Amino acid sequence: MNRFAPPRWSLIAALAALALVAAVASLLFGAVDLSVARLFAAATGSGDKVASIILFDLRLPRTVLALAVGAMLGLAGAALQGYLRNPLAEPSVLGTSNAAALGGVAAIYFGLAEIHPIILPLLATGGALVSLALLFVLAGKAESPLTLILAGIAVGTLAVAGTSLALNLSPNPFAAMEIMTWLLGSLENRSFDHVWIALPCIAIGAAMLLWNGRALDALTLGEDAAQALGTDLQKTRLRLLIGTAIGVGGAVAVTGAIGFVGLIVPHLIRPLTDRSPSAILLPSAIGGAALLTLADLGVRIIPTTNELKLGVVTAFLGVPVFLVHLMRERRLW
Amino acid sequence: MRRLGLAAAAALLGAAGLLWAASPAPRAKAPRVPQRIVSINLCADQLVLALADKGQIAGLTKNATDAEMSGEAAKAQGIPQLSNSAEQILAIEPDLIVGMPASRSAALSALPEQTYPLLDLDTANTLGGIYASIRQTAVAIGHPERGDALVARMEGELAGLPKPGRGRVAAYYQRRGYMTGTGTLIDELMMRVGLVNLAGKLGKPPLSQLSIEEMVAAQPDYLIVESATDKVTDQGSEMLHHPALKDIPRISMPQAWTVCGSPAYTQAARSMAAQIVRLDGGRS
Repeated sequence: MNRFAPPRWSLIAALAALALVAAVASLLFGAVDLSVARLFAAATGSGDKVASIILFDLRLPRTVLALAVGAMLGLAGAALQGYLRNPLAEPSVLGTSNAAALGGVAAIYFGLAEIHPIILPLLATGGALVSLALLFVLAGKAESPLTLILAGIAVGTLAVAGTSLALNLSPNPFAAMEIMTWLLGSLENRSFDHVWIALPCIAIGAAMLLWNGRALDALTLGEDAAQALGTDLQKTRLRLLIGTAIGVGGAVAVTGAIGFVGLIVPHLIRPLTDRSPSAILLPSAIGGAALLTLADLGVRIIPTTNELKLGVVTAFLGVPVFLVHLMRERRLW
Repeated sequence: MRRLGLAAAAALLGAAGLLWAASPAPRAKAPRVPQRIVSINLCADQLVLALADKGQIAGLTKNATDAEMSGEAAKAQGIPQLSNSAEQILAIEPDLIVGMPASRSAALSALPEQTYPLLDLDTANTLGGIYASIRQTAVAIGHPERGDALVARMEGELAGLPKPGRGRVAAYYQRRGYMTGTGTLIDELMMRVGLVNLAGKLGKPPLSQLSIEEMVAAQPDYLIVESATDKVTDQGSEMLHHPALKDIPRISMPQAWTVCGSPAYTQAARSMAAQIVRLDGGRS
C-alpha cells in the first residue's frame, strides 16, 4: 500500500476537473478565432449561424469523441495491464488498435459500410477480437512479459501490412493519404454521425472492463489463488477480450488507431493509487479522456500547414514512458 | 531441345526485324498526316481523340478510358493503352508523340536515341490556352481545319452563356479540404459564369487546404465539388459530407471536364451556369 495515495474519490474528482477543463478548452479553440462571448451566445441559442454551426456541428462532436475515445483507450490499457500483469500491455502495443483499423478500412473501402452503418464498428470490433484471440494463443501462458510484447508486435505489424494492402487493393487512387490517417489517428472533421457509431460501443466495452475490477485484484495473487478466491477465470478473460474488442473497435472505427494513450495513462495514475488493478480502472478512464482531449487541442493549436495527426502527439508523449519501462526491465533480457 | 527453341526464336526475331526494316518509316521528319500517334499525357489524350481519326492513334495513357478522368473516354475504347514504358513506345515506332510536354517524359529519355517527332503542349489554364493547344494539335496531326472548326464550335457554345453568378462567392472544395485557387482553369470557369473564387478573396495560393471550420466561417454562396465525391467512399470524401456544410448550396461537376484544358470546357461552363440557375430557382 502506498501511504501517499490520496483517497480514491479526491483523485477521481481532480481528474474529472482536468477533463472538464480540457473539454471546455477544446470547445473554445479551433481553426477559426471566435470570441468567448460569441460562443456563449451560440451555446445559449441566441448566437449567429456561423458560430453555432462551428460550436455544435464541429467542435462539440470532436470534443465528445476525444473524451470518449480517450476514456476507452485509457481504461483498456489499465485493464489489459492488470489482467496480463504486464506494464507494457495496451491496445496499440498489442496490435489491437491496428487490427481494428484493418476491420474499419475493409468496411469503408470495399463499400460494406454503405450497406448498414453498423457494419463499420462490427468489422472493426471483429478485427480487434481476432487480434486479441491470436495474441492470447501466441503468448497467453508465457512466463516472460517480453513474449507478449513480441507477439503484439507480430500481430500489429501484420495488421498494418493488411491495412496498407487493403487500401492498395481498393479502387481508391488516394490510398496513401488514407493509410496515414488510419494508422496515426485523427479527430479532424468528425461529426455526430461518428459519435453515434462510437459511443454505444465504448459504453458497452467500458462497462465490461469495469466489471472485471475485483477479478483483476484477485489475479495479482496468481491464477490459482484467484480461482481459490472464487474468480471465474474463463468469464473474466471473456469479458476482457470482448469488452476491449468492442470498445477499442468502436473507437478506432471513427478515429483510426491512436497509439500509446492506454500505455501512458495507467502509468501516470498508478503512483497516485494503492496500485491495485481495480483502483486504477476508473481513474485511467477519466485520465485518458483528459489526455486525449488535451492532445487533440495541441494538434489544433500547434501551427502546421496540414493538421498534425493525433497519433504523432500521443507517440511523443508515450514513447518516453515505454523507454523508462524498457530500461527498468532490461535485466530480464 | 532448348537450343532448338532458342534458334527458332532467333529466326522469328530476325524475320520480324526484316519486316520492320522493310516498312517505310521516315523517322526524323513528321509526315504530313501521322498514322501512329502516341499520346503520353491524359490531357493530350483528349485533344488527340477529339481531333484525330481513330485509325491514326496507336497508343494512349492508361487512364484514357476512365470516364471519371477524361471527357473523351468513350472515344478511347479499343485503342491500346500504354503504361508509359519506353519498351511499348519503341515497339509501336510512333510517327508523332504528343505530351505535355513530350520532351520531358521519363519514358522517352530512357530510349537510346530520340528521333521521334514530338509535339510539346503547354498546360492550358485559360480558354485561350485551350484554343491554342487545339490548333497546335490539329496542325501536328495533319488536320488543321478540324482545329479551327472545333474552336469555332466551342466559341459558339460559349457565346450565349449567361452569367448567373452575379458576383457571388464560390469555393471549389476538393477531398480532404483542398481548395482550388486563382490562376487555374477552375478559377476562369467561375469568372465566366459570374462567380468570385473564395480562394482569391482569402488570398490563398492555387492549391490550399481549408478546414471545415474555416469554410463555415467564410460562408461562401456555393460549394463546387467533384461529382466523384458525391458518394462517400473514404475519409477524404466523407469530410465533404460533414453536416456543418449541409446549408451551403452545391454545384457538382465531373472532374473529367475540368482536370484538363480540353473541349469539355464548354460543357463545364454550361453545366455550372445551369446549376446556379437551378439552385436560384429552388430557393426563391
